[in-house]
Amino acid sequence: MKKTIAACFCLMVVLAGVPALAHFQMVYTPEIALNQGESLDLKLVFTHPFSAGHTMNMGRPEQFYLVHSKEDQSEKTDLMPRLKAIEWTSQGHKGQAFEAKVKVRKMGDYTFVLVPAPYFEGEESIYIQQITKVIANVGGVPGAWNQALGLPAEIQPLDKPYALWTGNVFRGVVLSAGKPAPNAEIEVEYMNHPPVMEKNTFAAKGEVGAPHPAFETMTIFADQDGRFSFGIPRAGWWGFCALGVGPVKEHQGKELSQDGVIWIKAVDMK
Amino acid sequence: MFKRSLSILFLAVVLGTGGSALAHTPLCSCWDNGDGTITCEGGFSDGSSAAGVAMRIKDPSGKILAEGQINKLGEFTADKPKGDYQVEFDAGEGHRIVIDGKDILK
Repeated sequence: MKKTIAACFCLMVVLAGVPALAHFQMVYTPEIALNQGESLDLKLVFTHPFSAGHTMNMGRPEQFYLVHSKEDQSEKTDLMPRLKAIEWTSQGHKGQAFEAKVKVRKMGDYTFVLVPAPYFEGEESIYIQQITKVIANVGGVPGAWNQALGLPAEIQPLDKPYALWTGNVFRGVVLSAGKPAPNAEIEVEYMNHPPVMEKNTFAAKGEVGAPHPAFETMTIFADQDGRFSFGIPRAGWWGFCALGVGPVKEHQGKELSQDGVIWIKAVDMK
Repeated sequence: MFKRSLSILFLAVVLGTGGSALAHTPLCSCWDNGDGTITCEGGFSDGSSAAGVAMRIKDPSGKILAEGQINKLGEFTADKPKGDYQVEFDAGEGHRIVIDGKDILK
């Protein structure tokens, strides 16, 4: 009996220790700086990218689309019909996720946008909806990467998200329904376990270790104009999540945190 | 004294207008449409339009098989030649790209 109580207590402590924050919606494809068009494999996973920890079950997304832009042209393509349900494994746990195959051929920017179904986080009794962008480029002709799309919660990049060297400073503006969100709280997380695409899982070993919990999910604040900057210390993928900046605050009778996420990739100079 | 200043000013004007004012790289890529035609897309690394840029398709001897211009959408479409060929994107000195037909795939 004592052993059971002790075990239960330990489990409670462990579960309570898992931060309900640090959830990150990933929209992942291995390469976003493409010299020519190709067929992209995308994985949509709601998880903890630094620790490759618990992966949450995603419901069917509300919207998933891309906007192709170059010069003064812009074209939106609905990607919902391409979605296929998959299971993503992280550290032995399986979570429901999605994948899609998208062929990109013409030069220009491809902004992928995911509006997921709100996720109920039981630990905090709130819903979380992370509206996520990732921007790829084909051939080097730039498009509208810098322009806001008018999403409820959005990070507008001020530096090309697909053309960053390790050591560059990435800057952005946090927007709430198109307007700058002053003093927005932003979580920054490194994708420490490279995804293994063909197995729908993360690599078992992380690339780096965090000396202290504050390094796993970093917190920065935007200034009074919604602007932030972040010096990128290592090559790879970095996610930025502006918390609760969307205008919708309630879902099915519970509090809703509408977050804006953007993923960037840094490359070492060689 | 005045003559010298005038010479320096003249030299500055000549040097200033001599080179290209825009620091952009030409970009071009082509694909086979699978219906007997090929399409090439042209642009510049700073996002400026390549509309109007001369396009030529040549055979190995240099004979021009087809020519035209990049259109307002940034594209040029032509019949795919039967043998070996090259596509030339010609935006002027230092802004030319040549693509071998063998590299133009579906």
